[in-house]
Amino acid sequence: MSDPILAIRNVSRSFGPVQVLFDVDFDLRAGEVHALIGENGAGKSTTMKILAGYQPPTSGDVLLDGKPVVFDDAQHAEAQGIVMIHQEFNLAQQLSVEENIFLGRELRRGPFLDHKAMQDESRRLLDRLNCPVDPRAKISDISVPNRQMVEIAKALGRDARVLIMDEPTAVLTARETDILLDLIDRLRAEGCAILYTSHKLDEIARIADRVTVLRDGHRVFEGPAKGMTQDAMAEAMVGRELSNLFKPKGKPQDQTVLEVRNLGVAGLVHDASFHLNKGEVLGFAGLVGSGRTELMEGVTGLRDATGTVTVHGKPLKPGSIRAAREAGLVYLTEDRKEKGLLLNKGLTENLTLLALHKFTHPWIDTAAEDRALTDAIAEFDIRAGDRNMKAGNLSGGNQQKLLLGKTMLADPDIVVIDEPTRGIDIGTKQQIYDFIVELAASGKSVVVISSELSEVIGLANRVMVMASGRIVGEVSGDDINERTIVKLAMGMTSKDDAA
Amino acid sequence: MLRRSVLAGVALAGTLAAAPLAAQDAQEYTIGVAIPSATHGFMGGLNFHAQDTIKRLEGVYPQLTFVLATAGNAGKMVNDIEDMVATRDIDALVVLPFESEPLTSPVKAVADAGIWVTVVDRGLSQPGIEDLYVAGDNPGFGRVAGEYFVDNLESGSKIVILRGIPTTLDNERVEAFEAALDGSGIEILDKQHGNWNRDDAFNVMQDYLSKYPEIDAVWASDDDMAVGVMEAIAQAGRTEEMWVVGGAGMKQIIKRIMDGDPQLPVNVTYPPAQISTAIEMTALGLVSQTPVSGRMIIGSQLVTPENAEQFYFPDSPF
Amino acid sequence: MSETTAKTWMPSFHVLGPLLALIVLIILGASINSNFLSYGNVTNVLARSAFIGIIAVGMTFVITAGGIDLSVGSMAAFVAGVMILVMNALIPSIGVTVPVVLLGMLTALVAGFIAGWVNGVLIATVKIEAFIVTLGTMGIYRSLVTWLADGGTLSLDFDLRGLYRPVYYDGLLGVSWPIIVFALVAILGELAMRHLPFGRHCGAIGANEQVAKYSAINVQRTRIATYVLLGMLVGLATIMYVPRLGSASASTGVLWELEAIAAVIIGGTALKGGYGRVWGTVVGVLILSLIDNILNLASIVSPYLNGTIQGVIVILAVVLQRGKKTDG
Repeated sequence: MSDPILAIRNVSRSFGPVQVLFDVDFDLRAGEVHALIGENGAGKSTTMKILAGYQPPTSGDVLLDGKPVVFDDAQHAEAQGIVMIHQEFNLAQQLSVEENIFLGRELRRGPFLDHKAMQDESRRLLDRLNCPVDPRAKISDISVPNRQMVEIAKALGRDARVLIMDEPTAVLTARETDILLDLIDRLRAEGCAILYTSHKLDEIARIADRVTVLRDGHRVFEGPAKGMTQDAMAEAMVGRELSNLFKPKGKPQDQTVLEVRNLGVAGLVHDASFHLNKGEVLGFAGLVGSGRTELMEGVTGLRDATGTVTVHGKPLKPGSIRAAREAGLVYLTEDRKEKGLLLNKGLTENLTLLALHKFTHPWIDTAAEDRALTDAIAEFDIRAGDRNMKAGNLSGGNQQKLLLGKTMLADPDIVVIDEPTRGIDIGTKQQIYDFIVELAASGKSVVVISSELSEVIGLANRVMVMASGRIVGEVSGDDINERTIVKLAMGMTSKDDAA
Repeated sequence: MLRRSVLAGVALAGTLAAAPLAAQDAQEYTIGVAIPSATHGFMGGLNFHAQDTIKRLEGVYPQLTFVLATAGNAGKMVNDIEDMVATRDIDALVVLPFESEPLTSPVKAVADAGIWVTVVDRGLSQPGIEDLYVAGDNPGFGRVAGEYFVDNLESGSKIVILRGIPTTLDNERVEAFEAALDGSGIEILDKQHGNWNRDDAFNVMQDYLSKYPEIDAVWASDDDMAVGVMEAIAQAGRTEEMWVVGGAGMKQIIKRIMDGDPQLPVNVTYPPAQISTAIEMTALGLVSQTPVSGRMIIGSQLVTPENAEQFYFPDSPF
Repeated sequence: MSETTAKTWMPSFHVLGPLLALIVLIILGASINSNFLSYGNVTNVLARSAFIGIIAVGMTFVITAGGIDLSVGSMAAFVAGVMILVMNALIPSIGVTVPVVLLGMLTALVAGFIAGWVNGVLIATVKIEAFIVTLGTMGIYRSLVTWLADGGTLSLDFDLRGLYRPVYYDGLLGVSWPIIVFALVAILGELAMRHLPFGRHCGAIGANEQVAKYSAINVQRTRIATYVLLGMLVGLATIMYVPRLGSASASTGVLWELEAIAAVIIGGTALKGGYGRVWGTVVGVLILSLIDNILNLASIVSPYLNGTIQGVIVILAVVLQRGKKTDG
């Protein structure tokens, strides 16, 4: 085994009184993919930030080529060939793809920017990722997966010796994930040292040479990936046995609570019709961009839509999310940071925002709000260091639980959950799955939109499949399997094949 | 709005009455008038008098056409003047320069083109351009007020001053006022800027009243400020203690002097109607042989209860 | 629970910065002139703060919801002008009576309501930048009042003024009406900001309009409501203003918008929206008024430099509260 390029030894890190890392060791070697896994809040982000020079350790050493080093900041680490690709995009929304890739190291010809050269180089980098985006396009105009690709291209353009990837596939489709994993293979062959994190354990099994597992700030496992099953990884992370991720599905009642007829959203959704029964979990599968989110936003009054929506037999006033809420229909967004939570505000204010009317008579009853937070923390197992912290300082999984608590506070009969577990750890995932099953068992109805097929398959009583803005198929019972759904979603099938 | 139509009606009646008297001269002339827009009381009065005079002269002299332009800044005024020369083919220009410096060379170009130029109130920064100069008397404005204070206060009396917006004009007035007080033994307690604004003057006077237990008289140097000052004095209940002298001849103030208000013994004129003088003399020079070139300084006069009536223009907005 | 309380009330520089600045100014004023703390001077300063103060309370809601309103100064002049014209016009039919004054007050509130509503609809429904809309209406109201006054001054009928005058100059138990009204507006504003869904919604919209929309908040209606509220408070301020001098002209309310915005920001409300506090705005207004008052009472510096001193104190007050913000 070669010597590590970058390593940390006995590193601990505290934030104020809270210690988040305890004597952690971690190595990155040339030509090796080292996976770092753990639940949210286990200390992965902090470990990566210390490696990439964003934060200094409280104690312990960072070793570069075997010698102790103190990075002044991330720029200093980047100058040494250590590049981190963030989960939250660090892209300037109003600049072009090319301008972002070359931000801070623009190519010049004389005193002028050499746009031609930068565009050509950007094109070359994006081609390596099979990404068809035009280098001149503005970031705000391209899709989220493409933004992730640009973020990766930006790192590639910096000639990294060490590449630190924080959940790069969280927003990518299966096909895009394949391209990325192939690229990682090539980078490894070129001698790059790669740190890889993901909540998708199948990716880890496929790409990693070695695995380190963190739990509650401690390193609980370090060893070769070969021969390690996904179950073993999950158990190491959670510290208990995860026999089955999904509880058995309940049985829906024979009573329609939501009926959608010929719903259209201009340019995005065409002629969509479906119904939902009491106690049912209805899955919505399809590729990213197939119109699932837009359909549900149309149903819940967040977007202008044509067609009819009937809740409990009564027509719903179109275009009013308040009317939908009053009818017991709520939508939980996939974009918790931009549409779900006020990141700069406290937990209470976020929790009660959707159902504020319940706390108002006529003044807002802050004591009742406080009790609601206590209840939500208990019910949804929200792990907040401090009740007065800002929502933005919660980990991703706890933000999702807070968002779930906020949605349920409105006491809905029908809950539409868009990407219930995006970017959260396996332990939290299981909690959310359990919650969805219990919700349906208690007589509520749930729509689950997910790009993770296993989720739809494991939870839904029926699955609607969408492609290009249309509902292209409905599967139920034993037909709910990966093969049938993928064929429908790719538009490869006729109705009888699915049925 | 109702008031506007009434005003228009009055003006129209005047025109009709004057029409038969008009001379029947074949030669036609166009006179351009460029003045600042009505952003405060004095300029409002000036605008009123300009419009009024134009209406009247158009009736008296049918061969005269007037082009009136008001500007909110110096740049717009320059554009207005250029347009008048280029498109209206004016024979004479009456201008109250928004600012001296930026207007000097455009007005010079007009004069060089052989057009008669009358400059009002604010001089250009280069002498000798204009054919006729009509202006109020700023040092005189301060001096006349100062002389009244000297004549009517004993040595050792205490007064306060409210100044206008910091400008050369304001400095000239205040310096002349102080010069007139020299040697009289009158003590100037304080002089702060009230910015020719009622609200600011009210605040400044309130603070003077808190600060000085004894004040014998106030030179408010402007009638808008005098209104604010008197309100502050009334609030403090010290009306009996001091009198106030404003300036510029606002109609409400003149009315109170006419009525013999002890708190407002006199006023000093700085007439906005000087624009009428300028337009009238310019018109006279065009239609007749009367010599009108030179400098015309309209003296600042002391308005007293005895002569107030001749300074009272109830139709003017100022 | 006890933990929550302890945290909220922990005195931090960020919270107390403007209050400290106010206290420093009061001490400074008292040491410069013995009349500073006299009943008369305190009453003068508070009453004169009332116009900007009432407007600034409304401005706090607009800014908290992520908006801005540059038109309030011109709006006040316009409302005052309309109010005076209406009252003068009513005298021939009703005479110099209390109903005329009441109708004048109603006129001011209605005019303020309409003016605010126009701003709100153009911003929230037509979706034009608040800065541009209110820059436009600022010019419109200013020129309308100039036109109504024919470039001069609109004055309230002399006898009617006598009747109306007590609204500014009299009061209850030695406290003048403008101060009472300002205090009521401030208390109600603070309650609304902290304890009504409206205040909570303003903060949510200012922090992230998308989240607000997805939380079933009617963003458009709330936004319009902030401008309507501000418009009506401008009307209320005008009701207090007109009896003071009994007149309105093109120079009425000049730069009030900037004073109101400055007071809001000095008080700790975030200019980009998302967080607002009304009591801070009240402190901000008092700071601005006291600076003027102290400069007039002191006459130690050249009056030409008054603007400089104001500017320095305003910036200092904001720097003080930012001092420890990086921790948060």
